[in-house]
Amino acid sequence: MSHPLLSTHQDTKMLLLGNEAIVRGALEAGIGFVSCYPGTPSSEVPDSFYPIATEGGFTFEYSVNEKVAMEIAGGASLAGVPSMVTMKHVGVNVAADPMMTLAYIGTPGGMIILSADDPGCHSSQNEQDNRYYARLGGIPCFEPATAQECKDMTRDALAMSKKYEQPVMLRTTTRVNHLRGPVSFGPLPKPKAKGHFEKNPMRFVPVPAVSRVRHNVLLDKLSQFENEAESSIWNTEHGKGRTGVIASGISRAYLNDAVTEHGLGENVRILELGMTYPLPKNLIIHFLKKIDTLIILEELEPIVENTVRALIQEQHLNIEVVGKGAHLPRQGEYSTTMVRDILLRTLNKPLPDHTPCEVPQKLPMRPPNLCAGCSHRSTYYAVRKVFGDNAVYSSDIGCYTLGILPPLRAADLLLCMGSSISAGCGTAKVSGQPVVAFIGDSTFFHSGITGLINAVYNGHDILVVIMDNRTTAMTGHQPNPGVDQTKIGKNAHKIDIEAIVRGCGVDHVTTIRAFNQKALVQTLEEYKALQGVRVIISRAPCVIFKRKVLREPDSQIAYVEEGFEASESVLTCLNELGCPAFSVNQGKVSIDPIQCTGCMLCVQICDRIKARKRSIG
Amino acid sequence: MQKTRIYLTGIGGQGTLTATNLLSQIGLDNGLDVTSGEIHGMAQRGGVVASTILFGGYQSPKISPGEADILLGFEPLETYRALCFLAPEAVVVSNSEPILPIGVAMGREEYPDLNIIRSATEKHASRAYFLPCISLAKKAGTPQAANIVLLGALCALEIIPIKLTELTTGIRAHLKPKIVDMNLRAVDLGAHAVTS
Repeated sequence: MSHPLLSTHQDTKMLLLGNEAIVRGALEAGIGFVSCYPGTPSSEVPDSFYPIATEGGFTFEYSVNEKVAMEIAGGASLAGVPSMVTMKHVGVNVAADPMMTLAYIGTPGGMIILSADDPGCHSSQNEQDNRYYARLGGIPCFEPATAQECKDMTRDALAMSKKYEQPVMLRTTTRVNHLRGPVSFGPLPKPKAKGHFEKNPMRFVPVPAVSRVRHNVLLDKLSQFENEAESSIWNTEHGKGRTGVIASGISRAYLNDAVTEHGLGENVRILELGMTYPLPKNLIIHFLKKIDTLIILEELEPIVENTVRALIQEQHLNIEVVGKGAHLPRQGEYSTTMVRDILLRTLNKPLPDHTPCEVPQKLPMRPPNLCAGCSHRSTYYAVRKVFGDNAVYSSDIGCYTLGILPPLRAADLLLCMGSSISAGCGTAKVSGQPVVAFIGDSTFFHSGITGLINAVYNGHDILVVIMDNRTTAMTGHQPNPGVDQTKIGKNAHKIDIEAIVRGCGVDHVTTIRAFNQKALVQTLEEYKALQGVRVIISRAPCVIFKRKVLREPDSQIAYVEEGFEASESVLTCLNELGCPAFSVNQGKVSIDPIQCTGCMLCVQICDRIKARKRSIG
Repeated sequence: MQKTRIYLTGIGGQGTLTATNLLSQIGLDNGLDVTSGEIHGMAQRGGVVASTILFGGYQSPKISPGEADILLGFEPLETYRALCFLAPEAVVVSNSEPILPIGVAMGREEYPDLNIIRSATEKHASRAYFLPCISLAKKAGTPQAANIVLLGALCALEIIPIKLTELTTGIRAHLKPKIVDMNLRAVDLGAHAVTS
């Protein structure tokens, strides 16, 4: 049976995640090549492409990082194949270098760059607004607001990219990636997965003489894109009155819901922008001439606002602009209520009198925690035992960042993917403090290796712990070069982390089973006494991955020995591990047999906790 | 069509997202305009998972404080925490059986008194229903069906545009055959708990 996303039935209508709708849109545009590096909120896009690549007849890969993914997709497009590269917003920072050049030399097969932004920092280290990248690079930008638009705009953006041979950005936000709505399918063409590279070095090799010419070509194409924006079906006007609203992105959804709910359709004139770079200046000027007051709705930076304010000045119009300020903040997400309030205020209408009730502030929180049976807990416990608070812990991006929380407290600094080794080296060099860097397997492949080579070459002094849980756990178990097994089969080209570390010139490297406390502590003590770059690979599969993908059952469970439920040693174990399988009730500790995975960390630490065979059922 | 905003809140692993997708899909099967949303990421590791279902032609998947017509609570503390989302005249349907936060499990914090949760809920909602979803699910055959118990209760109250029969039809259509019967029992037990 054909996969639902590959349906060729007329009138197919499915409830899709925004990210799944993007996949269908690319398929409807004949996508032939897809690469990615996963990252919330973009991950379901590649994860939906991955299992249907063979049946769908296109090429798909999880690349090792965003820069590589951008270059691979760029190369495919240079050979005439419609391509797509997906990443989260901060991934575009990693991929920015090739992206800028691709805009100069162009992409003959067509190419979509998905930038999944995260206003509100739901799962990111910042909330940067990547609409700036579209402007920085000269890359047209589309911003869908519904599941149907996710599909249709992806399709149209790829078609436009092919027509002009220029990369186009699809910029989404977490709310859009993770909304679900009905999507009506269109025709599914045959994918164009094979192409031919037509040599043209005077275009594709940007030596300065070429670049100067290509910059002019880019500027010329941008003016053609502006014409496209003027007549785009994604830029529409509706409503009436002398109060105007220009809205883009998910703010359009908030606006339309607020207008409908409060019956304001007769009171406001609305310009919705779906193709948001280049902005359709004539369309906007035409709109501005019909209003006296203008509300501008866009999350994060005042990008549309600044352009529109400039247009108002150029046109000598007298319009009061309600933009970024106390009621429309530059950080976080907007909402229907926020948009409702600004509309009602501007229209001098009363605000609804319902105020949401207050909930007591001091309720117990549920901070995200390492899972019961997580191998990182064991590694962190051993490192703290050897280094305590005396070392600086340079962390990286992955589940193990959760080591920041007590009782493990194993994260003191973090910059970005792959920064733990290099940032740790800098800190160690000038402070003289011992530094331990933690990095996961996927992050090591992503951009940790360069930091390690630099550490060896420049004679740095650092202990690196590679927390190898055999998968990319945080984003949903995507494969990386080191894994044995993927969701759809064995890894045919497995790359050995220890061999890489040795190849980088590290003399002191040991691989240890992550749950072997004795071996971990012994090696940590030994390496603590040494100078230079030392690497410990602490290895055990992610407990969820082990159960779901490797299908290895948990054979044992831990229990507290009868009569010692309130003993000092058991209570200490509970407090030092923070394992969610433990609980204390009226001073007595117990271990939940359902949550316990039998990792046997506690058994090694506390002699009053014992192991037994897990009984069936 | 009746416009309804439903705010769902629970803890990672409770099946809130499964319930969200199932109810949204059944809405679409029955010709309703549906938009839903979810926010997760870090929240998967034992944190709070909140999601939304909006019937009747909303574009935005987000529900702000003061906007939810229905609050579907998969855990009583999370129901309590989400009371600020209630619109005037809202209805709350909630599991009554706690799942302890790590601070409580480790003895550092106290779980709020269930009677306080109940009376605060009754104060701010026009109607509130608490039912022991985990116990009822165990009775149906597996504690994992607690989410379906709650959906059974919700549909039995006839406050959303999906009827109990449409829920059971949807369960037959969308769940694996092996677990259909168990989940149908869960629906019955949930429905019975709020209507008898």
